[in-house]
Amino acid sequence: MTPRGTFRLGLVVLVAALAVYPAVGTGYGLRAVLQIFMWIALAASWNLISGLTGYVSFGHVAFFGAGAYTGAILITRAGWSWPTAALAGGLAACVVALVIGYPCLRLKGPYFAIAMLGLNEVLRALVSYFEGLTGGGNGISLPTLEATVPVYYAMGLAAAAVTLLTYLVITSRFGLRLMTIREDEVAAEAMGIDTARHKLYAFLLSAAGPGIVGALAARDQGYIEPISVFPLATTITMIVMVLFGGKGTVWGPVLGAVVLFVSQELVWARFPYLHQLLFGSIIVAVVLLMPRGVLGVLQQRYHLPRTI
Amino acid sequence: MARPVLEVERLCKSFGGVAAVDRVSLALEPGRIYGLIGPNGSGKTTLFNCITGIERRDVGSTRFNGVRIDGLKPYEIARQGIGRTFQLIRVFPELTALENLLVVTRGSLAGAEARALELLRFVKLDGLKHEYAGNLSYGQQKLVEFVRVLMRDPSLILLDEPAAGVNRTLLNDLLEAVRRLRDDGKTVLLVEHDMKVVMGLCETVFVLDHGEKIAEGPPGVIQADERVIEAYFGR
Repeated sequence: MTPRGTFRLGLVVLVAALAVYPAVGTGYGLRAVLQIFMWIALAASWNLISGLTGYVSFGHVAFFGAGAYTGAILITRAGWSWPTAALAGGLAACVVALVIGYPCLRLKGPYFAIAMLGLNEVLRALVSYFEGLTGGGNGISLPTLEATVPVYYAMGLAAAAVTLLTYLVITSRFGLRLMTIREDEVAAEAMGIDTARHKLYAFLLSAAGPGIVGALAARDQGYIEPISVFPLATTITMIVMVLFGGKGTVWGPVLGAVVLFVSQELVWARFPYLHQLLFGSIIVAVVLLMPRGVLGVLQQRYHLPRTI
Repeated sequence: MARPVLEVERLCKSFGGVAAVDRVSLALEPGRIYGLIGPNGSGKTTLFNCITGIERRDVGSTRFNGVRIDGLKPYEIARQGIGRTFQLIRVFPELTALENLLVVTRGSLAGAEARALELLRFVKLDGLKHEYAGNLSYGQQKLVEFVRVLMRDPSLILLDEPAAGVNRTLLNDLLEAVRRLRDDGKTVLLVEHDMKVVMGLCETVFVLDHGEKIAEGPPGVIQADERVIEAYFGR
């Protein structure tokens, strides 16, 4: 069997195993896998804009928060079912991306990163201020509902969808054009590529996943407040997962999400204070020793396609 | 005189009070090779950047096939049919040689791939089509950049120092390619410091000095021009 065939077979087996897991798994195990799904969707989404175009977003959790609030408000105030509310959360995140992307994507390098950081703070301030709709600092409590297993499947679907989307983008000419923006934006323009439009499309695609996942997380946790859905730490975790796994690849964000989540979980259980130290050390080590990430190094050394 | 492909009229561009391009006018007829020479810092690259929209001109106009293009975005100008290379190579290093060509195309991917392979074969790089452009030698990257321009089949091609850093054998192929483009009816404007290349290839030469056009004419006449000699060697 070819390596590709083996890989595909392994993937099918893995997906099947994850699909039947809720029938046999423990409560803790189920929650852990659900969280991994969420991180895969978040990291892979960040990779779509930042890994491909090189525009580093330091406020990507803003889309997660926008989705969480949209979902929670629709569920509590309008009585929507959580799956439709989750899709609406994705749509709301895309609307935010459209409004903010148009001006911000003109900024280059660190200025874009800082603008995105600012967006996150603005959104957090807004939801705190409009108490009538969002409950302000008191947050929103969702009606009690035991939905861990359905949310598990929804999260899994979101993770799979964003990964599939990444595959489709990276293997297309559209994806290559996004990469030219990272490689040399001026040359891309001079070659007839409408970089502004391409950046905006990538930004919209990268916002949808976090929006959907945010609404699902809100349903899963049953309670949201400004500080719980707009934490900078979530953005940083997405970035570290992608950098660790390999930016600009299909499976890099998946690998990063799994490895970092599992190691964090293991260390967290034993050394509640030390895990921050370990996490920080990983960031420093990755940036210094292998800025391309695990799969980026393999890709470069063994001439593998980006679809790894 | 045939209708000019490109007409630049009294184009000005300054950077903080220094006039990089000062009231430059020139007209390019179709199917000819033009040279643009001048000492370092005389405004050649800035003129290229203004024509291709990478720099915004302060005053003046640029017309391409009679239509004004100054004020358009670089990608819009490129789509009108103007292609260019850069003085310092600007290939996409983490894309393969083949991807560097495919990425600038639109429409059918199969057609684009056939054309890309043909062009890579033409510059003898088909064996390296899956190599990252950043891993190629300087000369090879230069060739990738050159054929990348041809992918969109532009009618006007601006080449910024195509001969610099390219070995003699490769250079002859490159010059032959430029002549063949001219024979296909395309117009070429090239910045070049290698006078042998300019004199052997160009039918008309423009000379810039301190942003101003100080001479224009056939290479033989330009070589003997007092002002040109003065610009290069001083009085």
